Amino acid sequence: MRLSSARLAAAFVALFAAGVTVLLTAVYFLTARVLDRDVDAFIRAEVDSLIDDYVQGGLLQLVATLHRRSDNWGRTGAVYLLTEANGYPIAGNLAGWPQEVTTHGDSVEFDIDASGSGGAARHPVRAQTLYLPGGRRLLVGTGILERRRLATRLRTAMVWGIGSSVALAALIGVGYSRRVRRRVADIAAACRRIMNGNLAERLPVESSHDEFDELAVAVNEMLDRIHRQTDLLQTTFDSAAHDLRAPLYRARVRIEQALQHEDWSPASRETMEATLAELEGVQRTLGTLLQIARAEGRDREVTKERVDLADLAREMIELYQPEASERAIGLEYVGEDSVALEGNRQLLAQAIVNLLENALKYVPAGGRVSVAVRQSAHEAALVVSDNGPGIPEDQRERILQPFARLERDRAQMGSGLGLSLVASVTRLHNGSITLEDNRPGLRVVCRFAL
Amino acid sequence: MRLLLIEDDLQAAEYLVKGLRENGYEVEHSPDGRDGLDKALSKRYEVIIADRQLPYVDGLQIITTLREKEDRTPVLILSALGTVDDRVTGLRAGGDDYLTKPFAFAELLARIEALRRRASAHNETTRLKVADLEIDLLTRKAYRGGRSIELTNKEFQLLEYLMRRPGQVATRTMLLEKVWNLHFDPQTNIIDVHMSRLRNAIDRGFSKPLIHTVRGAGYVLKE
Repeated sequence: MRLSSARLAAAFVALFAAGVTVLLTAVYFLTARVLDRDVDAFIRAEVDSLIDDYVQGGLLQLVATLHRRSDNWGRTGAVYLLTEANGYPIAGNLAGWPQEVTTHGDSVEFDIDASGSGGAARHPVRAQTLYLPGGRRLLVGTGILERRRLATRLRTAMVWGIGSSVALAALIGVGYSRRVRRRVADIAAACRRIMNGNLAERLPVESSHDEFDELAVAVNEMLDRIHRQTDLLQTTFDSAAHDLRAPLYRARVRIEQALQHEDWSPASRETMEATLAELEGVQRTLGTLLQIARAEGRDREVTKERVDLADLAREMIELYQPEASERAIGLEYVGEDSVALEGNRQLLAQAIVNLLENALKYVPAGGRVSVAVRQSAHEAALVVSDNGPGIPEDQRERILQPFARLERDRAQMGSGLGLSLVASVTRLHNGSITLEDNRPGLRVVCRFAL
Repeated sequence: MRLLLIEDDLQAAEYLVKGLRENGYEVEHSPDGRDGLDKALSKRYEVIIADRQLPYVDGLQIITTLREKEDRTPVLILSALGTVDDRVTGLRAGGDDYLTKPFAFAELLARIEALRRRASAHNETTRLKVADLEIDLLTRKAYRGGRSIELTNKEFQLLEYLMRRPGQVATRTMLLEKVWNLHFDPQTNIIDVHMSRLRNAIDRGFSKPLIHTVRGAGYVLKE
């Protein structure tokens, strides 16, 4: 994102600079040509009038006119020269035929030494030449110092113009890309906070009424709608769970009371005890569901304290060690000594317990289960690996959902809520859970942001 | 042995009162928080059992009011709210124990018993003795019939908990809470495995077992 807006701005600046350069260069060359044409037209008029003189009065009148006009240099900047065929000057205000001028017909430009008020100086001149009968040559020109200055000024203006507009464009581009980047970063940060449980927060809307505001308003409306629906769902679920508990509680108390006193046949007693066990299962499922709903819902505030996850993992391993050795399963801790994070000890303990119970349930005798807690710069990871049957890759996402179970485990006892609760607890701690292939077996990795 | 039960679910309360009376307790019932608080303040009870959500005055408020008046009567909170956090806030509010509905009646009995005898259990002693079983809390060693018994750290904690309450039933949930500080029930009966190991260490080779299983409830240490 950062790249794309900066790249867009850079492209915009380059395009703009190219456009301005082309435009100003064209203006410069067009202006220079117009000026050249002006000069050429002036010279041609001069030449025409001199040819008229020659035609009417012959060489003598031409020389007279040239003499008369030659004194005008200081005023008009006009240059004349008439030479014999051998190059000997007849009339005009140039000392000799300039060396640079060899071609004839076209306009030529050359410098002359002219004595102005400040002493000798080079003066640029533009001139036309033509042959007169008898091999004589005529040169008519005009000083173009002013035109040269104008062109120079125009060039300077052009360079400055291009420079400043590119700078301005770059400034606007950087500003624009910064603004885009900031707004996108704001929106992304808000989205992340909302996903991390601050479900009441909304995307920032600036009063600029731009595309981002339009997007933010639309997303906010969508969030409102989702919020209302989750609210409704949560309230319904909460009251359902709550209302189910009271009758469950009464049923339980009643059966227990009855069991204590009446003289039941062993068969009846067994039935009643089985019913009690069923009720306990329902209660457990209900409790876990309620816990998942709470962890995923909008009341995600949970008391947190400093918890040493490595310590906790070792304690839970100690709790399950006898169970593991009875099933001939190796259970060991292989992680770091101490990894502290802000969390809810009970929920984290329950997550570890659920992972251990899962592993012990599915790993066959002789297998092994290992738990590790590791810390990197930004996260702590709880890794529970086993060499049991594992979970097929295409099922790993689904199995984290409540009540999801693998086809092959249908016959096994269990609610299908264990992993789902682990996922909820992990998310509640700003973490993420992934199921990986342990080749063979399953590796569950819970990453917590530190 | 007088108990006060503050519970607005009248049907459930009726069964509880009946069950508690049959177990030898004198029980008074109060159907709402206001009446319950009045009773709690005007008479002395050994243990108060209060629902967390009650009409007029809720269970946590009752505890707070009692504690403000320097009344240290142990309070057991019953709650339909089941999350770990509810339990923790309940205990932090000054409740002495917390039980989530629905619970086994045996669990309630065991906890009432534990609360009743709690006052006497916490005297400063360094040695505990039940029959010929003896533990030293300083050296953390256990002896039976003068012979030293090897115990792991957790096994010792488990034994200490039972020896502090000889003759009282300790449920699996209570052991998980008090010895492992876990306020949830794992799927498997993980406590049974630990108890059978402890039992092996304590009772094997002795004619009189000290650790007994109480069916449907838990464990008890007695002669």
